[in-house]
Amino acid sequence: MTAHTAARDMAARDMEAPGVAIRDLTVVYKTPAGELPAVRGVDLTLAPGTITGVVGESGSGKSTLALSLLNAVQPPGRIAAGSVEIDGLGDVLTLRGEDLRRARGRQVGYVFQAAQNSLNPLKTIGKQLLDLGRSHDVEDLRGLVRDAKDLLARMGMDGARVLDSYQHELSGGMRQRVGIMLALVLNAKVVVLDEPTTALDMITQATILRIIREVHEERALTTLVITHDVGAVAEVADSLAVMYGGRVVEHGPVTEVLGDAWHPYTQGLIRAIPRLSGDLSLARALPGRPPTLGTLPKQGCVFRERCERRMEVCETDEPMSVNRDGRTVACHATDRHLTLVKRKEFV
Amino acid sequence: MITGTGITKIFKQRGGVLGAREVPALRGVDFAIAKGGAVSFIGESGSGKTTLGRIVAGLETHDAGEIVIDGVPMSTLSHRRRQPYFRRIQLIHQDPYSALNPTRTIHQTLEAPLRLRARQTGRPRSWVDGRAAELLAMVGIDPGYVLPRYPHQLSGGMRQRVVIARALTMDPEVLVADEAVSMIDVSLRLGILALLKDLRERLGVGVLFITHDIATARYIGDDGELYVLYRGQVVERGATEKIIADPVHPYTQSLLSAIPVLHGLERPGAERVVPREMQREGEPDGGCLFARRCPFSTERCENEMPVLGRDGGPGQETEQEYACFHPKRRSVIPVGVGE
Repeated sequence: MTAHTAARDMAARDMEAPGVAIRDLTVVYKTPAGELPAVRGVDLTLAPGTITGVVGESGSGKSTLALSLLNAVQPPGRIAAGSVEIDGLGDVLTLRGEDLRRARGRQVGYVFQAAQNSLNPLKTIGKQLLDLGRSHDVEDLRGLVRDAKDLLARMGMDGARVLDSYQHELSGGMRQRVGIMLALVLNAKVVVLDEPTTALDMITQATILRIIREVHEERALTTLVITHDVGAVAEVADSLAVMYGGRVVEHGPVTEVLGDAWHPYTQGLIRAIPRLSGDLSLARALPGRPPTLGTLPKQGCVFRERCERRMEVCETDEPMSVNRDGRTVACHATDRHLTLVKRKEFV
Repeated sequence: MITGTGITKIFKQRGGVLGAREVPALRGVDFAIAKGGAVSFIGESGSGKTTLGRIVAGLETHDAGEIVIDGVPMSTLSHRRRQPYFRRIQLIHQDPYSALNPTRTIHQTLEAPLRLRARQTGRPRSWVDGRAAELLAMVGIDPGYVLPRYPHQLSGGMRQRVVIARALTMDPEVLVADEAVSMIDVSLRLGILALLKDLRERLGVGVLFITHDIATARYIGDDGELYVLYRGQVVERGATEKIIADPVHPYTQSLLSAIPVLHGLERPGAERVVPREMQREGEPDGGCLFARRCPFSTERCENEMPVLGRDGGPGQETEQEYACFHPKRRSVIPVGVGE
């Protein structure tokens, strides 16, 4: 390949990867205590061609956020406000019926949490692939099978053999690859992976993370990885968004956020990760526990009960996201050191 | 003190045209857990670590070898006479959601074993309630809040603490913790690990810690011992801190290399090994079990099986032992950015 065509390929790739802009997204769940927000007022931009990692604990709203990209929040949940603009597709939240069904799979690929368990145990992988093709009116099913085999081979597997297999004949790492194949085979350019490494062995996890990174680059994708595992995001992502109690509390380039976290929750979370090196006495668990829908405070900062830098204002006012040096943070305690710029988010 | 010598377990798999196939889950594992000690077994799924934990807890039989509890070889006792010994070894398993009966309050969950314990030790019935509160306080939760509640009303971290409190009702000598923090929220994991460490120090309870996440093994005590298990064989053994800082066996190095680097805080170790994934394969005939995945294997490794010791031979008593013909220390773990 000459330098010229390589440059053109790069340009084409940049053109291809779509950007995603989530704006003021609020998702509520119906509970006996009324409708409560699992995701509230979230702004998040996925820059074209990047991998964004969203890290959060149980109840942080990260999976609900991910489902919103497919406009697939199920009752008792409901998207109450906001928009999810995907380049070349428009606002996903306004899509209905047939348009929405087509967008899922064709434009947005989704690898479900525990892809290990989301396959049909009664059908071979090949049959499930054909079902997927038919439901999306793919005319060239042979081509689809060829693409699937290529993708599987790319991930180090014997495609023909995998397509002839039932899910129980595949290991956890192989099923995860099948999940990725099914999400990409219709040439989706936006891919969401929900907990892609949960329940995998360490070495398999490392391999899957490498595959995600490589396939992302080769196919010029815009990728969102949802996980509770900061380490997994550190290995694979360009930018890191930290969610807590339904809010994005911090977002920025992954090395900067890990190297110098601004939000007290991010700082505490990093301190709480069991690590191979470093002083054992400096590591400690965060006090308290993550909030649930029912225990979220009605006003003020959602993190204040566990926060060591809590101030009076945290009881009453919810901190706004502020931007500085290409990073955003929502915290009253860090505000003081930042120049307040009235743009809510970095791009 | 609990010791195991030559613990061997063979699973018979039905299957295929050739009929039953024998799969060794444990191949002559030796170990010792001292009073209040911390012993960690690490390995991938299929390494036999869970099976070992179940054998130690008396929930699974073994095909060869001997478990000795407080000087008494278990093989010399009838099934019934063994029970009091194994009751002093309590298993805490991975999932605090399924480990507790959802139809019982925490009070009821703790009451039943405590009544048994009261009968065994000749204590009055009135002792039970006080002890339940005492145990919950010991594992760091408020008895007044937790006792009347059902499991679904508690967070995962609290449930795991209740499971530990229930294990403590039997005044155990050893807690077998099988992936005890893998389903707990990240911000709370260190709390559970610190609790296990605390119980070792305060009660002299030994901990057999089973995990695939080596980093967590550091946090149950810096005096711990680590066993690296591969396909039922201990391939490296020694002080936890030593093995993590100075691994010698290529499998240990692969496991450590696979742990994500927190870019920004850390940079990768200089000699990080690119690990190869586990393949489904049959028994190798005679050679090292890890040879086919090992980046450093030679012809000798294909033909001869290394034994745990120094330099691949059965060895003198040493701090760090390994089963490898080509031992070499490699710096594979992440280094802090500032260092």
